[in-house]
Amino acid sequence: MKKVLSLVVVVLMVLAFMAGCGSGTPATPAAPSDATAPSAAPAQSSTGSTGQGHPLAGKSVTLSILGIGGWLPSALSQQMGEELFTKYAKENYGYDVKVTFAEAPFDSLFQKAATSLASQSNEYNIIISDSQWLGALSEPGWILKLNDLIKANPNLDAEWYSKSAAAAYQNYPDGSSDIWGLPQEADVLIMYVRADLFTDSTERANFKAKYGWDLPSDSSIEQWEDIDFEKYKQICEFFTRPDQGLYGTTIQYSKVYDYLTGSFYPFIWSAGGEIWDPSTRKIEGVLNTEDNAKALALSKSFMQYCPPGAIDVDIAGIVDNYTSGKVATAWQWAAMGGAMTSDKGDTWAVILPGYRMADGTVNRCSSLGGQPWVINAYNTPDQMQVVTDFLNWWYSDETQLEFAKRGGNPLKASVLNSDGFEEIQPWFTAFKYMMQEGNSKDFWHEPTYAELLATQQEAWSQYMAGNDGSVETAKAVLDDVASKQQAIIDK
Amino acid sequence: MVLSHTYKTASKSVEKKGISKVQQFFSDDKRFLLVILLPVVLFFLVWNALPTMWMVGMSFYDYSMISATKTAQFIGLENFIYLLGSESVWSSISKTFLFVVLGVGIETILGILLGFLFWNSAKMPGRRLALTLLFSPMILAPIAIANYFKLMTNPNFGVISYIISLFNGGKAIELLTDVNLAFPTCLGVDIWMWTPFMLLMTLAALGSVPKAELEAANIDRLGWGQKFKHIILPHGKYILMLGIMLRTIDCFKTMDLVWAMTTGGPGAATELLGISLYRVAFQSLYLGRASAYALITLLVAIAFTSIFLFILNKKNSEVG
Repeated sequence: MKKVLSLVVVVLMVLAFMAGCGSGTPATPAAPSDATAPSAAPAQSSTGSTGQGHPLAGKSVTLSILGIGGWLPSALSQQMGEELFTKYAKENYGYDVKVTFAEAPFDSLFQKAATSLASQSNEYNIIISDSQWLGALSEPGWILKLNDLIKANPNLDAEWYSKSAAAAYQNYPDGSSDIWGLPQEADVLIMYVRADLFTDSTERANFKAKYGWDLPSDSSIEQWEDIDFEKYKQICEFFTRPDQGLYGTTIQYSKVYDYLTGSFYPFIWSAGGEIWDPSTRKIEGVLNTEDNAKALALSKSFMQYCPPGAIDVDIAGIVDNYTSGKVATAWQWAAMGGAMTSDKGDTWAVILPGYRMADGTVNRCSSLGGQPWVINAYNTPDQMQVVTDFLNWWYSDETQLEFAKRGGNPLKASVLNSDGFEEIQPWFTAFKYMMQEGNSKDFWHEPTYAELLATQQEAWSQYMAGNDGSVETAKAVLDDVASKQQAIIDK
Repeated sequence: MVLSHTYKTASKSVEKKGISKVQQFFSDDKRFLLVILLPVVLFFLVWNALPTMWMVGMSFYDYSMISATKTAQFIGLENFIYLLGSESVWSSISKTFLFVVLGVGIETILGILLGFLFWNSAKMPGRRLALTLLFSPMILAPIAIANYFKLMTNPNFGVISYIISLFNGGKAIELLTDVNLAFPTCLGVDIWMWTPFMLLMTLAALGSVPKAELEAANIDRLGWGQKFKHIILPHGKYILMLGIMLRTIDCFKTMDLVWAMTTGGPGAATELLGISLYRVAFQSLYLGRASAYALITLLVAIAFTSIFLFILNKKNSEVG
């Protein structure tokens, strides 16, 4: 008996080993990469509509959204979905819809989405993803290509305020016409400034006496357009008074997710540098240039003007540092505008400083944030119809304006160019400016983005945490990162 | 004899009523043991052995969940060669070793000292309260502890930072964000959390020392050092070694505590093996390489355990 049992155990273990060593080819996802594009239901008037003719008329369906935890724009999709879309669907299409929302923090959202989609689950019908994940989600066939859906639903074929920003939220591979996402929230890194400090007459006089030029006196673009990194350094130095518990700035240097990367890239891009060449897929020789090394050293040099614990500061840390009055300026996403401007009048939202070029002009290029909607490839036809109806409703001008009023950042040109848009939220002027063509960029959309990101986050965090802030060391760090990333991308 | 005869007679008569088949089946000791053990063995096979073998197989393949449409390719030992040739992997291994050696070492010493303090202290006032407080860190969730300490050591508002600043001329110390202090701080939290475990093992070890021998030693007026060397240590060391072995294995796997405090930073100052493995497996979703990484970790843990077991068995055979 003992022998038989031992034999059974050994056979089972060998089978398991061989299974693990097997081809490992997972089941091909059932859904094709091009969706069967459900069209929008015929538009119905809101009065006396019974939704007749709509495929879902008379039914009760659930729309499940996966979004980012603790992130207002994501939460707004749930809030508006529950309050407004449910009514809209009932009145116009004649069906009841329940909107559910699941969430995860930024740094674990991809894992949550990927593991669900890898099991071909339709647990989440529509996902608020990060733009960098388009490749990672589309390559395995987990999300739908939207070209046909957009063709069948003209409302989704919107004119976007910034074509380059829209491409970042939609297209993979970069430069192709394949659309995998639609902009849920447009976002860009801007700067928030303590208006009370900048308008204080004593502070202004002291600053002028020390540096020979005037502090910006309001939040207008004109006042901040000439602020380059050198001038910004002077501002930060002036307001860094540890004995008074005040510091010049707070910038994200955290190693978690892409926080450090998002804050560092403006230093590269504003100086005209690049992180890679998507056409040749070259990173070595593009990322590890002398100019980029100077940019890395410059980025580190601002840590001396940050409150203690700067190396660990993330999005929430920026909000905490700024709203507790510890800093004069803060680099933060426009999406966090509501939290950053909660004190109303005393905060300006302005554009980032830039790099003074040889011709004397100041060039600025911020990091593009924001999230696209992506659609689960494993949705049932009913779920797909709800998603289509939801997106059609979402991209109506009324809904987009409501989104803006509640604190979200739309990208639709008709909304951003509408009268009075800048007055809706205090950060919209800066947001619009930085979203213009060429004023912001996204990073890679490669499937291996997580590996690429982890490589540089660790290396740059090590540089930022170390005592050596020299350009030579920065160059060595970039050389190392470029070499490793090139190996990853060439795999 | 009478009883077994009675039993056999009874079972024959029961057999006629159809119940005896079950009794017959279980009357065999080996068969009975097999039935008792089968669920446990199956559980172990399904949830432990089979996944482990699957992981071992996966480690020889280039497989990423993100590129799931591409066939996983057999690449032999390439994953292992890459990992063992990677500076960051060796850095993680060395940091983990340092973490384990220092952590378990200090926890053991502190646990032993506290154990002697509470040994035979039934009449100590406040003993129960003291022990309850001492054991409480051990039962809290590591993630909760990590977040408490992260808040308490925050250089801007943390209470620990504030207290330190009182002795540092008002200047805050960045315990978790300074590249030189982050590792010792994480180690300190681990020690705070797991010293009670070693205290528990010490108390168990001391409880196994025969009182008669201690009384005899007292009568012979042996010094404390001689009592410890000739009576306490020989009896208590096996339990203590077991505790050290368990703690070593557990410490080796530390991930959640450090992740919540520093996510392996600043830089790579606290990038332990568990954190590094997590990144490869669950952020990059590079399962082939992650399997190889996990296998290396498993082999190192097995090596640790084997050393302890060898020492234990050697001592047992000497005693035997």
